[in-house]
Amino acid sequence: MTARPARLPRALGALTLALALPLAACAGTDADAGSAAPPSPSSSAPAEDSSAAAPSSQAPAGQLLEVQVAGGQVTGDTGRVPVAAGEHVVLTVTSDVPDELHLHGYDLTADLQPGTPATVEFDATIPGVFEVELHEAGTVLLSLQVG
Amino acid sequence: MSLLAHGVGSRTDLPIPIGFALYGAGAAILISFAVLLLFWRTPRLGGSGSGRPLPEGLQRVLDGAPLRRGLQALALLVTVFVVVAALAGPDETARNLAPWVLYVTFWVGLVPASLLLGPVWRVANPLRLLHRVLRPLVPRAPGAHLLPALGLWPAAASLLVFVWLELVYPGRAEPVTVAVFLVGHAVVHVGLSLWFGERWFASGEAFEAYSTLIARLSPWARRDDGRLVLRSPLANAMATPAQPGLTALVVVLLGSTAFDGLSRTAWWQTGPGSANDSLSGTLGLLACIALVAGLYVLGTRLSGRLAGQDPAVQPGRYAATVIPIALGYTVAHYFSLLVLDGQNTWILISNPFGAAGVDLFGTYGNRVDLTAVSSDVIALVQVGAIILGHVVGVTLAHERALLSARRARASDQLPLVLTMVVFTLGGLGLLFGF
Repeated sequence: MTARPARLPRALGALTLALALPLAACAGTDADAGSAAPPSPSSSAPAEDSSAAAPSSQAPAGQLLEVQVAGGQVTGDTGRVPVAAGEHVVLTVTSDVPDELHLHGYDLTADLQPGTPATVEFDATIPGVFEVELHEAGTVLLSLQVG
Repeated sequence: MSLLAHGVGSRTDLPIPIGFALYGAGAAILISFAVLLLFWRTPRLGGSGSGRPLPEGLQRVLDGAPLRRGLQALALLVTVFVVVAALAGPDETARNLAPWVLYVTFWVGLVPASLLLGPVWRVANPLRLLHRVLRPLVPRAPGAHLLPALGLWPAAASLLVFVWLELVYPGRAEPVTVAVFLVGHAVVHVGLSLWFGERWFASGEAFEAYSTLIARLSPWARRDDGRLVLRSPLANAMATPAQPGLTALVVVLLGSTAFDGLSRTAWWQTGPGSANDSLSGTLGLLACIALVAGLYVLGTRLSGRLAGQDPAVQPGRYAATVIPIALGYTVAHYFSLLVLDGQNTWILISNPFGAAGVDLFGTYGNRVDLTAVSSDVIALVQVGAIILGHVVGVTLAHERALLSARRARASDQLPLVLTMVVFTLGGLGLLFGF
């Protein structure tokens, strides 16, 4: 391949530009973020469960998962976390910076305020592997393996 | 950044059950030796002159300019629409049509389409139409004489560019990335086609070469005399013309799908790929392709040495026999993406620009049903595709060995069969998640 048409450099320039574009968080996401109902009846917890309180009341049965984010470091139930299908899951995240929590697939979100634990609660009815991610930072906290 | 592989998606598959993995592995090994020892001992698949011809009237329609230009114009309109939707639609990947159309409906959908209907993208490639419109600018393609020597090498490079975008580039799911890729891809390939002539598309454009490669396992073929025929997919694959770069194209396909599997294992995500950046992804992708290439070349050359044949021609001679194995990998890794996250295309098409109150087909309020196919079915399809690909691959390799040396000992084929067993066990291992 010797000579290239004159168009090529421009196209490459455009590509390079795109590669240099800043990347928004949460690249491959799932279905709806706003309009639709939650995928499964999540035991009285609404889809946009942004309750900033720790899950103290009701003493929920099922699997309790806790994750702490401090100084960019993630500790607690990280990595690949297996959950039995159908099990009730209570995920509590405490972050030192404001962000938004997003569980892919189930499409649950929660607002994170610095230092205040936020909780998402749901029945793990969809089998598969799903990421829990911080929208702003783009950090993956854990992968929920339901099945 | 999301750890999800293959461009877009909200989920990844569960690891296949250990029982599936073990039974699959056992079956692959058993079948391999059954093929070597019990199958036919003389070549019996039809060659490139075989097949049942289609009626001439049908062939005139299928080969006619109206159908081809019509489909190309339609594909061009859809492509322009997707680019506009990428730029003018919602910024959010989850609500923008373009990434789902490119990475799921088109890229993954091209596989079943080509398998059932033949090389569809060769017929409908919209860049061919652009080439025809612009061709008067460069009446005599100055590089046309170079193409036969290049063969499919440019297609392998073009495919590598796309799989890098799909599997590695962190911003792959952004709508603007999709728009820039589509426009850049069109400009580059139309430009190269003006230089190399219209044959460039078959030789160097990733999607057309990919569709044509998969279509080698379809029942549709063109006989030596130009007639369109129906023939056994096995005979069709066997008749794949030997071209420089065919091996490279198949190896890029197989290696990149292996990387797709690797990048979703816990081992990769917490180990070598934990940085989750372009560098680790690029190195991982290239390492997978290099590993597949190394194993393949080693197996074919050793087989050639045992059979007393020139080892240098062996990799090219057997390249077509790896197509079914690569196809098996592809189905195993992308089936669930097409049937589950692929629903997004049909949801978002109702309102491609995210305008308030628009719902053209009444699907905009739908949700992706991630339980439409159970995880058991997904696991069965995955293991089934890998094993079926392996069986067809080993069978084709057996026939190819008999064709090149009629009195070949079965043991001469052992190194290549072992390579295929390694590919299959590796594929099952990736599905199992190690």
